[in-house]
Amino acid sequence: MGGPRLLLLLPTRTYRTEDFIDAARKLGVDLVCASEKPSTLEDLAPDTLLTLDFADPEAAAKRAAAWSAGRPLAAVVGVDDATAPAAAAIAERLGLRASAPAAVDATRDKYQMRQCLAAAGVPVPRFRRIALDEPPLRASRGVEYPCVLKPLALSASRGVIRANNADQFIAAFARIRALLQRDDVSVAGDAARYLLAEQYVPGLEVALEGLLTKGHLHTLALFDKPDPLEGPFFEETIYVTPSRMPVAVQDAIRSAAAAACLALGLTEGPVHAELRLNDDGPWVLEVAARSIGGLCSRTLRFGTGLTLEEIILRHALDWPIASLERERRAAGVMMIPVPRAGRLDGVRGVDDAKAVRHVEDVVISAHVGQTLVPLPEGWQYLGFVFARAETPADVEDALRIAHAQLRFDVA
Amino acid sequence: MSEGTDLKSRVQELIDTMINPAVAGHGGYVELIDVQDNRVYLQMGGGCQGCGAADVTLKSGIERLIKEELPEVAEVLDTTDHSSGTNPYYTAGKS
Repeated sequence: MGGPRLLLLLPTRTYRTEDFIDAARKLGVDLVCASEKPSTLEDLAPDTLLTLDFADPEAAAKRAAAWSAGRPLAAVVGVDDATAPAAAAIAERLGLRASAPAAVDATRDKYQMRQCLAAAGVPVPRFRRIALDEPPLRASRGVEYPCVLKPLALSASRGVIRANNADQFIAAFARIRALLQRDDVSVAGDAARYLLAEQYVPGLEVALEGLLTKGHLHTLALFDKPDPLEGPFFEETIYVTPSRMPVAVQDAIRSAAAAACLALGLTEGPVHAELRLNDDGPWVLEVAARSIGGLCSRTLRFGTGLTLEEIILRHALDWPIASLERERRAAGVMMIPVPRAGRLDGVRGVDDAKAVRHVEDVVISAHVGQTLVPLPEGWQYLGFVFARAETPADVEDALRIAHAQLRFDVA
Repeated sequence: MSEGTDLKSRVQELIDTMINPAVAGHGGYVELIDVQDNRVYLQMGGGCQGCGAADVTLKSGIERLIKEELPEVAEVLDTTDHSSGTNPYYTAGKS
């Protein structure tokens, strides 16, 4: 309290709350938290708790502007995909630092993003938008195989399915259509009416974590994804940084990500890009106007120990950042996948996993009694394993060994 | 009554009269564990334990309220084992 006032947009179900609140606390800002549903304490703490409709960025901006009339805001930060458009709209209305709303909106619609990138000459898979009310058999005739079907707006591989032939296409089509009608999925507009079918691009996958400042992309970390992502679903598991790719390949990845940001019009704040690599070079699969998801940011430390969240908040506040250089040691995370559908009855082996050399922490984020839903319908991880070592290979080994110690009782 | 005991009882009163009636709306409750050196140690239970929004509730709600009412409080610390929560009001996940 007493520092500049910073508005954090925190969905009620995000993994990112603790790390962003810790960062805000370290910076000494006057923190205001907004969620899409009212806090039980909002009436008692109206200066620090706010409800905003993240699904309607213009309404959120209007509400935030009215709220801030007597409480000026120095910065606004959305912590994930769901809040990025509202944060951009609020920033534009209040003259705060952020990318333009149109640019952020383009990242939230995979079809719009593909169109924008393709028009700028950024390598992207060939793609086609298909109406969900189109007969799937007819739609299946217009694509080349193998292909990947995906919703326009969901994150973290949810609803992403590979199809190698028309039968698989029809099954995937029906599955995505059903997914978009689930109670725990909230999509509207085109995202509720269409899906994207695109060319399957073989190759290795990487993730680039970056920070945009006045249109310049600084690469904060480049993660290898050593587990093959070949479908039928695309479950993300291990991320390890620094990348073991040749320097020239890493440079090509950075250039492709920067070109993608430029094409989309993104200029400020964190970006998370996913790319595939093969003999044709890097292909841009996704660019999101947010930082890395889950608890994965805990792998990253910069300069004298800054967290990724501190960097993001400092950037939003236009505060100096001593260094954007990641620490020298290798680091990685394993997002623990849901093995099968059911009810989580218990977790064993956590202490054994924590005892594995180079493992820093094991966080089980699912709770006993929780209903587990695997991909492609699922939207949660069981938890996260973190490791740090001298080499990326040591990190990867540690993550795999630690994961092998864990036993999840699913009934 | 010592100063520390007095502060503890005033924090308890805030929890009883303002905080718990509010968080009960989500099936949650807050217990005062201790007050030491003007630091308040709390534990969250019910719907608050393991809740994806527990940090927001604590830092932007509970701590703010306590500090406003009792400016001598330096910090409010959460001692909850959130990983043991079996009925969180909001479960974290990908958006």
